[in-house]
Amino acid sequence: MYDHYSGALLGVISRIIKKEELAEEILQDVFLKIWDRIETYDAEKGKLFTWMLNIARNQAIDKTRSKEFSKGKKTDDIETLVSKVDKSDFTETKIEGIGLQELLKRLPEEQRFVIDHHYLKGYTQVEMAEEFNLPLGTVKTRMRLAMIALRNLLKIK
Amino acid sequence: MNVEEYISSGILEAYALGELSEHERAAVERNLLQYPQLRKELDLIEETQEHLLMKAAVQPNASVKTKLFASIDNQKSAPKVVELKRTATDASAWKFAAAAAVTIALVSSYLAFNYWNKWKTTENSLSELIAQNQRVAQDYNTVNDRLDQIEKDLNITNNPAFNRVVMKGTANAPDALASVYWNESTQEVYLSVQQMKELAQENQYQLWAIIDGKPVDAGVFDANFDGLLKMKAVQAGAATFAVTVEPRGGKQTPTLETMQAAGNVVKG
Repeated sequence: MYDHYSGALLGVISRIIKKEELAEEILQDVFLKIWDRIETYDAEKGKLFTWMLNIARNQAIDKTRSKEFSKGKKTDDIETLVSKVDKSDFTETKIEGIGLQELLKRLPEEQRFVIDHHYLKGYTQVEMAEEFNLPLGTVKTRMRLAMIALRNLLKIK
Repeated sequence: MNVEEYISSGILEAYALGELSEHERAAVERNLLQYPQLRKELDLIEETQEHLLMKAAVQPNASVKTKLFASIDNQKSAPKVVELKRTATDASAWKFAAAAAVTIALVSSYLAFNYWNKWKTTENSLSELIAQNQRVAQDYNTVNDRLDQIEKDLNITNNPAFNRVVMKGTANAPDALASVYWNESTQEVYLSVQQMKELAQENQYQLWAIIDGKPVDAGVFDANFDGLLKMKAVQAGAATFAVTVEPRGGKQTPTLETMQAAGNVVKG
């Protein structure tokens, strides 16, 4: 399970927490939580991946609100620079984007925007509506159309 | 409730995206139980989301896995067992059984998927191997046929009953060289070409045997063939073999001015 899902979950976390080390720490916490709570997973309520995804997303968002994180953020600049040089192996193992960018290019601009901002930039629909001055209903409609378009592109039936 | 409208409001997407309040989530979950169509739609949304995020995966360092498994081993397993023992009343035993069942179901579906994948891979490699095998068998047959042909040719060239007549190029084609293997008693004639240039499409070479000063047709041929070519039978008494260029299909009488190669029979 770890091998199968850790990449996708780290992808989600690292789009919310930009610092790589911290993101991996959260990934570890997330899997501990999954391990702890696997009994509470209810297949009636959705797929296993969605359940894990929500744990990961909430854990990451909680982290951004914590004190530790806001303190860390200030000293981040130098550290990020150093860690970028130091931890080049992290970036090398990234497989993000190759097939994904191709896929997103096939979406109409408006739909690509919502997918990109939610899945790759970590915005919620509400945040998107506020920041880009769009009615929430519009964001939701575009998200729905985008998911349908992706479903067809990915041939999911 | 109008299911279509409910779906197109995008609430299922918001549910899958994890953006609903506790209250809203509960409402969606109630509706999911009631309307199978919602369930189906949500499955599609979740599947799409999973595909998308799998594509956007970022592989963690190997150290994360090591650390994680170590901390699961050290910290989590011990207290977990104790906790279960302590709360082993009837009700929680059922809960535990249910949880165990879910876990087993999860693990076995994951394993099943895993094995299915492996089986698929194996199946692919098998059909590849079968195809490869067929290719090898075909190659083997080709080689075998060719070997048979060469063996047959060798039997003729090694047979003392066959007289070899070397036909050297004439002034028309100084480089031409071909040989006739002629068995006077069985009248069989085989031809092998060492060097003769290719002719235009409408022309062919024709082999002649000269018997009592008269040319006798021994068949037509093209320049490019491998090994020995069986020609028309030639009766005893041939003194010379010669090759001319004729229209495709050959002629009754040779066009002597086109003679390419000729050689006399040397009686052994």
